[in-house]
Amino acid sequence: MPDVRRIKEKVFIAAIVALTMVAVAPLFHIIASVAIKGSKAVIEAGPSFILDTPAPPGASYTGGIGPALLGSAWLGVLSALLGTPLALFTAVFIVEFRDSRLGRAARIFTNSLLEVPTVLIGMLVYVVVVVPMGGYSILAGAIALAIVMLPYTVSYVERALDGVPRTYREAGFSIGMTRSQVVFRVVMGIARRGVLAGILIGIAKAIGETAPLLFTVGSARNNYPTSPSDVLEPGDAVPLLIYQFAQSPFDNWHDLAWGAALVLTLIVLLVFIAMRVVVREVRV
Amino acid sequence: MVVLVLLLSILVYYSIPAVEYYGSTLFTSTKWRPVEGDPSASSYGLLVPLAGTLVTAVIAVVLATPLSVSAVFFSEELIPARFRGVRDVFASLVDLMAGIPTIVYGLWGVAILAPFLKDNLYEALYEALGFIPLFSCKPVTGSTVLTAGILLSIMIMPFMYAVMREAYRQIPSTYREAALALGTTKYEYSKIMFGMLRPALLAGLLIGFGRAAGETVAVALVIGNTFNMPSCLLAPSYTISSLIANQFANASLYPYMTNVLLLGGLILLLIGLASNILGLMYLRRVRYVA
Repeated sequence: MPDVRRIKEKVFIAAIVALTMVAVAPLFHIIASVAIKGSKAVIEAGPSFILDTPAPPGASYTGGIGPALLGSAWLGVLSALLGTPLALFTAVFIVEFRDSRLGRAARIFTNSLLEVPTVLIGMLVYVVVVVPMGGYSILAGAIALAIVMLPYTVSYVERALDGVPRTYREAGFSIGMTRSQVVFRVVMGIARRGVLAGILIGIAKAIGETAPLLFTVGSARNNYPTSPSDVLEPGDAVPLLIYQFAQSPFDNWHDLAWGAALVLTLIVLLVFIAMRVVVREVRV
Repeated sequence: MVVLVLLLSILVYYSIPAVEYYGSTLFTSTKWRPVEGDPSASSYGLLVPLAGTLVTAVIAVVLATPLSVSAVFFSEELIPARFRGVRDVFASLVDLMAGIPTIVYGLWGVAILAPFLKDNLYEALYEALGFIPLFSCKPVTGSTVLTAGILLSIMIMPFMYAVMREAYRQIPSTYREAALALGTTKYEYSKIMFGMLRPALLAGLLIGFGRAAGETVAVALVIGNTFNMPSCLLAPSYTISSLIANQFANASLYPYMTNVLLLGGLILLLIGLASNILGLMYLRRVRYVA
């Protein structure tokens, strides 16, 4: 007589394996499509893909994503500059005043920021920055992205600071260091790789975001923001370009969007890998 | 912290005029008809996008839950302990899914997933199940409520997986050993384990729901952006976030439209915060049990 329990188990395991495969399959399909379609567009355009401006709609060639790529680079650097100090101080505050009411509130607020739809951050920056400044600018986009990266970086840095053993703090205090010296010289120093990883993960998250840029950066698709004063002018970003070109009816713009998606995915992957390398070295 | 308070107060401050001017029609009207310079002739009904947001998020959670639960059990139990490397690779793969920019999902959704679903699934659903109201409309394009729900389920799966896996790992090994010592099969064992995890599963569900409701660009690309009540899953519709994405930039041309959209943003924020806070509450309960 067949054992019903065993049969049930076999069926159950088969179902679990099948469902898991279904769950991960899209990842492979997405990566494969981006790699195939994207590399086709990039190879056809050659080096001009990362240097040129996009082709006119409906043209027989794709052009490049130069201005958007440069804009994304500015956004990444600026949002890191704006977001990092804020995130570090918040994380220190949360760790140092963990038991006070204010510290706990800061922690809850930062965690909730993670769940705020990013498009709202775009709206907020539009109302608070874009309207008073009188127009779209790369700076406004960077402010929005700095807010996006904040919760990720804070929670990562917070964990890194938390992981520093108490004895080091006590050693610091025992040689007469003040609290701020202990925090910024001793604890921060020991946790520096974790802090760096937190900043990297923030940048990786920020650079792939589209929604906060919709109403902040504008889409100046043809000028290259080369000098620092250009950050006060409208710019473009790679995700924004993909979003707008994917909605267009033109085939050459679709190809360009796929190429841009490949470039964006590679950049994000590289930052993630860099982060993993940094984290792994901490463990050793 | 200041950011969140600022966000909340600005959203409230700007939504008040809209509510004062239009009152409850904002939530009961299904019409969206902006008229330049004439607020009394315009009509801004948020009912369609609100319903669209809820329906797509529910579809996403319903589809993603079995997937993420299976993935947790697969990676934690079915991969043998001596293949630690395989387990790590699997975890990195899912992390990678969470790390891919949402716009890449959107591009894939609109260019590949939507046409594929229309040709292979929607036509068949319409033919076979057309008598059910949910599938009673003829699919015209691949941009539908169901496509948005499916794409969202793919996008939130990694987040739900992460929440559930963390909780799963916190189950004390004495419980595992006790269950195994009874000679349970994998099926019975999983029932015991996930029984203990029920609050964490709920937490994962809620956090996934919040994510799905707030997602913007990927949904805006595949939902079709049409003012249709999402009563039929094979037709295009709207969500609050895609409405904002499409209209906010030009909203200043129309009186009160900015205010109405900020009110939509406020609703989104409340949905996100509520699901997050509830989710965290359930998660805390897990720690008590374990």
